[in-house]
Amino acid sequence: MPATDSSSAAAPLTSFGRSFLSHRRDQIPPPPPDHHSHSHTQHPSSSDLEIDAFHRHAADLLHDLLSDSNSDPSAPDLLSLAWTRRLLDSFLICLEEFRAILFALADSQPLSRPPLDRLLLDFLDRAVKALDLCNALRDGLDLIRQWRKHLAIAAAALAPAPAAQRGEAQIRRARKALTDLTILMLDDKDAGGVVGQRNRSFGRAGTTRDSLPHGHGHHRRSSSGGSSGSGSGSHLRSLSWSVSRTWSAARQLQAIGGGLTVPRANDIAATGGLASAVYAMGAVLFVVTWALVAAIPCQDRGLQAHLTAVPRTFPWAGPLITLFDRILDESKKKDRKHSCGLLKEIHQIERCSRQLMEVTDAAEFPLADDKDSEVQEATQELVQVCGSLKDGLDPLERQVREMFHRVVRTRTEILDYLSRPHNAG
Amino acid sequence: MAAVTGWRRSGSSGAVDDLRRLAPPSPATVGSPRRTSSASGGGGAASNAVQVAMARLEDEFRHVLSSRALDLEIEALADLTSLSMCSDRTNSADVAEEAAAADEDDSVSSSVGRRSSYRSLRSIREIDLLPADAISDLHAIASRMAVAGYGRECVQVYASVRKPAVDSALRRLGVEKLSIGDVQRLEWEVLEAKIRRWIRAARAAVRGVFASERRLCFLIFHDLPLSSSTITTATHDAPFAEAVKGAALQLFGFAEAISIGRRSPEKLFKIIDLHDAIADLLPDVSDIFAASKAGESIYVQAAEIRSRLADAVRGILSEFENAVLRDPSKTPVPGGTIHPLTRYVMNYSSLISDYKTTLSELIVSRPSACSRIAPEGNENAPSFPDLDLADPDSQLPLAAHLIWIIVVLEHNLESKASLYKDAALSHLFVMNNVHYIAHKIKDSPELRGLIGDEYLKQLTGKFRLAATRYQRTAWLKILNCLRDEGLHVSGGFSSGVSKSALRERFKSFNAAFEEAHRVQSAWYVPDTQLREELRISIAEKLLPAYRSFLGRFRHHIENGRHPELYIKYSVEDLETSVTDFFEGCPPSLHNRRRSHG
Repeated sequence: MPATDSSSAAAPLTSFGRSFLSHRRDQIPPPPPDHHSHSHTQHPSSSDLEIDAFHRHAADLLHDLLSDSNSDPSAPDLLSLAWTRRLLDSFLICLEEFRAILFALADSQPLSRPPLDRLLLDFLDRAVKALDLCNALRDGLDLIRQWRKHLAIAAAALAPAPAAQRGEAQIRRARKALTDLTILMLDDKDAGGVVGQRNRSFGRAGTTRDSLPHGHGHHRRSSSGGSSGSGSGSHLRSLSWSVSRTWSAARQLQAIGGGLTVPRANDIAATGGLASAVYAMGAVLFVVTWALVAAIPCQDRGLQAHLTAVPRTFPWAGPLITLFDRILDESKKKDRKHSCGLLKEIHQIERCSRQLMEVTDAAEFPLADDKDSEVQEATQELVQVCGSLKDGLDPLERQVREMFHRVVRTRTEILDYLSRPHNAG
Repeated sequence: MAAVTGWRRSGSSGAVDDLRRLAPPSPATVGSPRRTSSASGGGGAASNAVQVAMARLEDEFRHVLSSRALDLEIEALADLTSLSMCSDRTNSADVAEEAAAADEDDSVSSSVGRRSSYRSLRSIREIDLLPADAISDLHAIASRMAVAGYGRECVQVYASVRKPAVDSALRRLGVEKLSIGDVQRLEWEVLEAKIRRWIRAARAAVRGVFASERRLCFLIFHDLPLSSSTITTATHDAPFAEAVKGAALQLFGFAEAISIGRRSPEKLFKIIDLHDAIADLLPDVSDIFAASKAGESIYVQAAEIRSRLADAVRGILSEFENAVLRDPSKTPVPGGTIHPLTRYVMNYSSLISDYKTTLSELIVSRPSACSRIAPEGNENAPSFPDLDLADPDSQLPLAAHLIWIIVVLEHNLESKASLYKDAALSHLFVMNNVHYIAHKIKDSPELRGLIGDEYLKQLTGKFRLAATRYQRTAWLKILNCLRDEGLHVSGGFSSGVSKSALRERFKSFNAAFEEAHRVQSAWYVPDTQLREELRISIAEKLLPAYRSFLGRFRHHIENGRHPELYIKYSVEDLETSVTDFFEGCPPSLHNRRRSHG
């Protein structure tokens, strides 16, 4: 199994002693059998302490994700690639602790005893929905990789050549690549069900692209590529989603978070507090998958799903809701509303390519000095975006895959445990 | 298209000539992987011409690649009946196996039964996707573009044209876009059929489609100076990987979805089939994909899936063992016959032995200790038999599992046997079932080989014990009616037989025998041979005893009043009645039948 690339996230994590906490958990022995006789109201049992620690740790992880560069200079920007990797790291840590707690307390709180068995099975059902999302997100990352390739062409055309060589040919080549990119991104917006702008004209770079597909509504691009002959734009519509036409990220999110009910007090008591841990894990699963869908392009990226009435008594409730709100705000911003993904780098792609197109629009050759420095500046940014994408996409994809693996493993372990004969209820 | 590019297309050779005209290889650029820095720098017009030419070449490349693609019979690659695209090694033995009649007791569905033959591509078969002249044109165009520093555009176009072609090919092979959620919702019988189709499709996809795509990419790009700021060892495979990655992930996604499904016993054999198919494909997947970075992740995923399927196999076997242990005993099966659980387990075990090649590799540990040791609250858990003669080091873990399965079955049958109010019936039940178990083991050489004759001996011993108990419980009382003791009033033989005692004896015997006859005729011994043997063994004890009893004492009764009240049956009558036993239906029906026949 590919190891999680934690190199970029190492610093902030260990500064909070995160890995220390998870090691400490393994060293806490399960409570001795007679402990419960005097555990109730006077002194919290060690299992209560562990579960509390789990809640607080989840709160810490979510808090970290909210820190901005003012309070912590090393904190990545919200919804950037680096931030998204941190998000996934946090999820994996949380999941691992959840798993550890379940099995550490399994002797005193048998997982197969109601209501815990029902709660766990419900959680596992939701977790399975996340698996399809992981696969879809991997496709989305691949899409971004394709966009990056077009950017790289433009970058190769324009940089690092000195002014004398940034002639018409290079500009035209770059503009062609960026035009192709824009069409590509529009097409995927269409498939994502978000209405995008159409019928842009692109100036001198080539023929007008008025052969864009019209009236598609919910048209899903088939993979046959049958219209390859007409218009130069349609040939780029080859990156079909690998999910079926009816698959919807919004629906997956709804299945993950919908109906996640706050555990009742007697359920919490009956399960020694584990019911609240299961609830917390479900909430974390939801907010992480929701944020991923917000950031990364995928089919039917609706963000309407939300958790109902998370009780503020949980330490993680505040940061979770804040995180949710911040991302929701981002999605409503004017220039991001129609984006195919809220990932900061996607915004950068859009901005850079638009900027370069504007700067080179109706350019006269040879380029005037001031124009050329504008082009240089825009190129610089382009190169930077290319670089951060190249560095960031592959590790993120590996992490998404790791998330897949861990969810499967946790699910298998819990199901196996529930089905063993001496554990059957 | 012609209007856009502005030059007439006069066939592929014309295109190449136009190439030479538009993008002549300048001395500065030939052999240099870098961009045309010197050529385009000062000479703006020249580099503009190059850019325009490259744009046209890009379109030409796209045109040739998409319009000259050959119309292939993709479906034939995965077709079970057509052998046109398949290699010659067809396996007729498999077909015979498939057609073999399923065990008539087979409660395991016959589709799960014997290994089906998946006749499809057995080795890599590279197919021409385009005609040779088109490929050489494409190579010429690509090389012009690469040399001029426009390799990236060329690669982009290649991937954008081939990707939908690959996707379409997989669609034609029957690969579906199923999500994990979809797979979870489907019934297992439906999934079994899909797995069969998937195996055929995967072989065709990997060995046919992907292999051919790689070759096409190789033919076009292999010797080109494809520029990249991060030259990895295999940039030349990158266009292929890009074209194929999505389809490959989608293909293996189905197998992955199966591997993470819920583990239930019915799934074992199909999942083994799926595991074996993927294990078989892995070397080819490695050959085809391991060269490029993007492709490598596909190999890694395929290997992960195989490993998950192996885990699933182990998990399902455990689940099966648990299910046998947990099978509830609520109502006794009527007539003491073979319990459906027994049939199911023995058929399942038989299949396990059929699949022993793969299972021996996958099952590497003996039944888990926690199932063997009596857990808290379950004092009645079975313990692993002390097979001193089976050296744990030499006995296959799989064999240990099979023995454990039978031990667990027997243990469960004991609780089922205890449901019978009639002890004799309880023993008959054990006889029937243990006999069946031994019989199934003897019937299957593989099963017998795995379980071993030592354990078979133990089973036979158990059977004999149950038989003895049955005899004693069912017949002791009846046979005791035919004893000598208690009939003589004084010491000697010939003098003083208590007539009243004798009459009581006859009455008791008649009543007891009639009762036995009534009750045990409704009992059922399915195995014909066993049924006969049982009857013979009853007759062997009953008839001589009765004959002797009659011989000794009948005249006492016949000399008294109403002898017919006491001597109701002749020896022949008894002999006939014994044939009613264990028929599984009440004797009155039998009598009616006999009177007609």
